[in-house]
Amino acid sequence: MNAQLRTLDTAEATTHYEKSKLGGSGSLWRMSAIARNAFREAVRDRVLYNLVLFVLLLTAASIFIGELSGGQERKVIVDLGLSAMLLFGMFIAIFVGVGLVYKEIERRTIYAVFSKPVGRGEFLIGKYLGLCLTLLVNVLVMGVGVSVALLYVSGGWDPLIPTIWPAVLLIYLELMLLTAVALLFSSFSSPALSALLTFLTFVIGHFSADLKILAVSMGSTGARWFFTGLYYLLPNLANYSFITPAAHGRTPAAGFVLATTLYALVYIAVILAAATLIFSRRNFK
Amino acid sequence: MNEERLKSITLGLVVVVGLAGAALMVRSIDALRPPVDPNAIDESLYLNEKTARRISLGFNGLAADWYWMRSLQYVGKKIGNYEGDIRLDDLTNLNLKLLVPLLETATTLDPEFIEPYEYAAVVLQAIDVQQAIRLTEKGVNANPNAWRLCHHLGYIYWRQGQYQLASETYGRGAQIPGAPAWMEAMKAKLLSEGGSRSTAREIYTRMYEQSSDEQVREMARMHLLQLDSLDQRDGLRKLLGAYQARTGKCPESWRELEQAFRTLRIPLDQSGAPLDPSGAPYVLKAGACEVELDPKLTKIPLK
Repeated sequence: MNAQLRTLDTAEATTHYEKSKLGGSGSLWRMSAIARNAFREAVRDRVLYNLVLFVLLLTAASIFIGELSGGQERKVIVDLGLSAMLLFGMFIAIFVGVGLVYKEIERRTIYAVFSKPVGRGEFLIGKYLGLCLTLLVNVLVMGVGVSVALLYVSGGWDPLIPTIWPAVLLIYLELMLLTAVALLFSSFSSPALSALLTFLTFVIGHFSADLKILAVSMGSTGARWFFTGLYYLLPNLANYSFITPAAHGRTPAAGFVLATTLYALVYIAVILAAATLIFSRRNFK
Repeated sequence: MNEERLKSITLGLVVVVGLAGAALMVRSIDALRPPVDPNAIDESLYLNEKTARRISLGFNGLAADWYWMRSLQYVGKKIGNYEGDIRLDDLTNLNLKLLVPLLETATTLDPEFIEPYEYAAVVLQAIDVQQAIRLTEKGVNANPNAWRLCHHLGYIYWRQGQYQLASETYGRGAQIPGAPAWMEAMKAKLLSEGGSRSTAREIYTRMYEQSSDEQVREMARMHLLQLDSLDQRDGLRKLLGAYQARTGKCPESWRELEQAFRTLRIPLDQSGAPLDPSGAPYVLKAGACEVELDPKLTKIPLK
């Protein structure tokens, strides 16, 4: 039943935008239709149900953590809330991300989509944007949840509330990057392997500082070059870890946020281009 | 009843009865196990602080919180198991060998987390003063704007009787932008009258005012009560001395000094005995002209 609904949605969307005859901007509209469809699909798959778990977690933390943390409940709530945001987001990015394309192929709904004038790149980017929209809703609701928990434990306005939002933005950028990575792997690999590879990218991305240290400590020039190359080529996710400073009321400098945003956008563009390249050569027979 | 239904009921019964049996077996095994001294055994940390930081993958703040809470639970559990009087700033009898690695890990994971340093300064100074100094110094270096940590480092030196070092540390803290004026005053006070009661009062008052940790505040409050009590006992001894000089003997009961108590403004109980700051009556050592805290009733630290 769900598969049928999905087929209908995708076909409906493509037909609608085929009819719209928007010329040059038609590509954008087609991608947005696929994105909205991917978002609807995520909602139907109950992806946003993780918010319930998140709310329960924060509620429990707000009530009980004061007893355990020696008066540090505000810091713990920010750490816990933002870490849960990253963790839940990572799971969504990985497990939903790797299934975005695979499910369409598995259920053969991809044939219905490509029987319409939809490019493979448009399809891929549309799917990507749809999941990014899901993640955006997720992090926004979670950000509001953390703010409400802070209001509750402080008994009114808390100066930490505005300082968490730049960290939320950085988490979202990290999740966008991870989603792109998941999509890239899923464009040529099985979901299980893609999930594993994406998770490893997440791990390595947070170890990037160590890669640099490793490169410096290497004796041979070749190994030094290799690790330095890895440091620069792999996504540097450590730049997006601003949870701990946010819990101390620190915000990143505007220049830093701008630079990391730009880096994320460039990196996403590169990954999506690579994914499109691989996906457009893929034979579905 | 059909066979399928009977099978379901049997399986259900096996689950319920089996679980109940397993629970009962656990109880009996627990009873058979020889009791262990909770203070004698300590699990060790699986990870050292550097590895913990490396594998925290951006969740280092949360991991630091976890280690911090674990430190509190660890100390709390030890205090709970200890039979006898215990003070936060003198936990030498508790064998807190995991406290240093726990606080070390918490502060390595989140170097800006002030409370573990503060806790180390207060709790560790009696157990392992070198570690207390090292951890607090680590905090001062990682948080150059946290004058509060200089206050705590100065406190450790003061407890050790190193008034020169304590004074220098307060002076260092006073240079930090935003440090209160009393830090500079403490620098001078420690140099001129490091071991005095008024210096102790000043230090504990500031600790009580500045600390966000309830246990540290309570410890400071108890010390302030102890200082109040020391002042009261000095006053009472003067009264007892004056009574002895006047009558040639020591009073047999507090009633004999009732008039004189009014000048000291010490609250009295129904029997006329003066009350210490925790509300317990002082004990008069009849015949010796000496006053003491009641070890059974008072909440004030005896030493």
